[in-house]
Amino acid sequence: MGILDNLLLGLNVALAPQNLLYCFGGVFFGTLIGVLPGLGPLAAISMLFPLTFYLEPTTALIMLAGIWYGTSYGGSTTAILLNIPGTPVNAVTALDGYPMSRQGRAGVALFMTTIASFIGGCVGIILLTTLAPVMVSYALRFGSAEYFALILLGLVAASTISSGSTIKSLAMVVLGIMTGVIGMDMYTGALRFTFDQRALFDGIKIAALAMGLFGVAEIIASIRHVGTRRLDMKTVRFRAMKPTRDDMRRSVGPVIRASAIGSFFGALPGVGSAIGAFMSYGLERRLSKEPERFGQGAIEGIMAPETANNAADQTAFIPTLTLGIPGSATMALMLGAMMVHGITPGPRLMTDEPGLFWGLIMSFWIGNVMLLILNIPLIGLWVRVLLIPYHLLFPTVLVFVCIGAYSVNNNPFDIYVVAAFGLLGYLMRMLDFPAAPLLLGFVLGPMLEEHFRRAMVLSQGDPSVLVTRPISASILALTALLLFWNALSAFRAHRAAATGRG
Amino acid sequence: MHRRDPRDIIGGLLLVTVGLAFAAYAYANYRLGTVARMGPGMFPLGLGVILATLGAVLTVQALRRPGNWPTGEPLVAGLVLAGIIAFGMAIRPLGLIPAICLLIVLAAPAEGRIRPRTIAALCVCLSLLSWLIFSVGLGLPVRMFWWSL
Repeated sequence: MGILDNLLLGLNVALAPQNLLYCFGGVFFGTLIGVLPGLGPLAAISMLFPLTFYLEPTTALIMLAGIWYGTSYGGSTTAILLNIPGTPVNAVTALDGYPMSRQGRAGVALFMTTIASFIGGCVGIILLTTLAPVMVSYALRFGSAEYFALILLGLVAASTISSGSTIKSLAMVVLGIMTGVIGMDMYTGALRFTFDQRALFDGIKIAALAMGLFGVAEIIASIRHVGTRRLDMKTVRFRAMKPTRDDMRRSVGPVIRASAIGSFFGALPGVGSAIGAFMSYGLERRLSKEPERFGQGAIEGIMAPETANNAADQTAFIPTLTLGIPGSATMALMLGAMMVHGITPGPRLMTDEPGLFWGLIMSFWIGNVMLLILNIPLIGLWVRVLLIPYHLLFPTVLVFVCIGAYSVNNNPFDIYVVAAFGLLGYLMRMLDFPAAPLLLGFVLGPMLEEHFRRAMVLSQGDPSVLVTRPISASILALTALLLFWNALSAFRAHRAAATGRG
Repeated sequence: MHRRDPRDIIGGLLLVTVGLAFAAYAYANYRLGTVARMGPGMFPLGLGVILATLGAVLTVQALRRPGNWPTGEPLVAGLVLAGIIAFGMAIRPLGLIPAICLLIVLAAPAEGRIRPRTIAALCVCLSLLSWLIFSVGLGLPVRMFWWSL
């Protein structure tokens, strides 16, 4: 089949009435939850995750993906209007978006970021469509040694590149892998760490883990910290949205550059959209003739990160769909959703399930257009959602979390798992441990163990197979380099701090 | 500020404890096997050791830098978690609506300034909404009350 046939097939799938409906549902709830402060994309996906168990796999994935890129659109609204970044990505947008809103230009900022998100999303989808088949042709040649190396690279990259302490991120990855060990060993059938609990025999449910770690822990941390909000509704009316000619002229360059930067970083394992957004913001400030405008409401400062993060959201699907290796915690959750539906993402997905693969990709176009429509005329609705008091919001969210967790298996045990991971997540926040690497480790851990053990069986116990096969060796070398570079920069920072004090 | 970083010392020591306990449990209960034919215990043993090592490194680093004690709100966490656990304990014997009300009554006061009237309103609205969405809409097999089927 040629690429055109594939695209037509995908369009056919994506335009099926049921898929259209759930795509709309996904982007709608994604925007809704993205707008609500204190609930990020991970909480959004994990809360709505159980609902999709009743759907066809293709429809479920279309909806989950819609939730995800919908939260990126919605998150920017909160960042611009209230200076509350839902995610690190939107933190960059808030730098210039909030000053714009203080100057009475909130409408313009919201309009322009929606356009930026749309363009970034489109560039990302085009790259995903063209690069995924290329990636698949490489991936088909990978053996267990290569997969082990790639997963390890993904895990290490996620811990070293993200902000904060590398040691702590790595520890959370390992803790996540340990959580993934719970349940039946797929090689020997031995039950590991189940403590005779029947509900643990097939492992901890990813939905329960994610809802506890992100949903409940975020709620506990936000209670008493999200105050009442005031807002001037006049600045966000439809008529106040028209950008000036100057705004348009200044935006062209940042959008083009940020599309490229975002797409590149999105496709890398473990990097994610936040880095792309930071990098493109930094680049625009450096290129600008008047860098002092940044932080004071420069339009370039909102266009660059919003374009980059939406491009990255789409290209992040490249490693997830073609290799079965998610680059970020959100993608790990998408991967978990596929596995719940009995689909194994990997190089064979594209040929075995062309309807699902291309249908999902084509649904991104539809979803992005829907978001454009949802966000510009309906902005007033989202702003009102923003003003819902938190003391009404959080009990509602808790009720939905509990019912969602229960509905996965109709088993109260899963609710206790949510509570346990809620506690763990809150303790981790207190001790400043990041939660996203734990989820990544949890999803990738069983794959890591499987490929490691299979590689060792095939090589008859000779670990050198990992470094004698060229692809595996170069990926492992890159992983080691990342760790080394990270240790070096940490050491330098420590030395600089020591001399600074002395 | 303290001369040493108490937050990371606690975190590091916790990691060491969890790592060692995990490794010891795997070593004592599961067969290790050989490298070519690994038993169920080999991989967990390795993980536990790695976690303990990372914890030790974190602790040593924390001993050499200043930091703060961790801060948290145990009352808020306790109320929210108690609400969730109560929901889990109530849903089978009592049904969905009593479980929802228990969750709200326990968790909603975590915010501090909520009035009893608001709590009652939340109970009614969320019970109605859940019944509509999950029972009528999605057809979830869950009892509303202990007397209904």
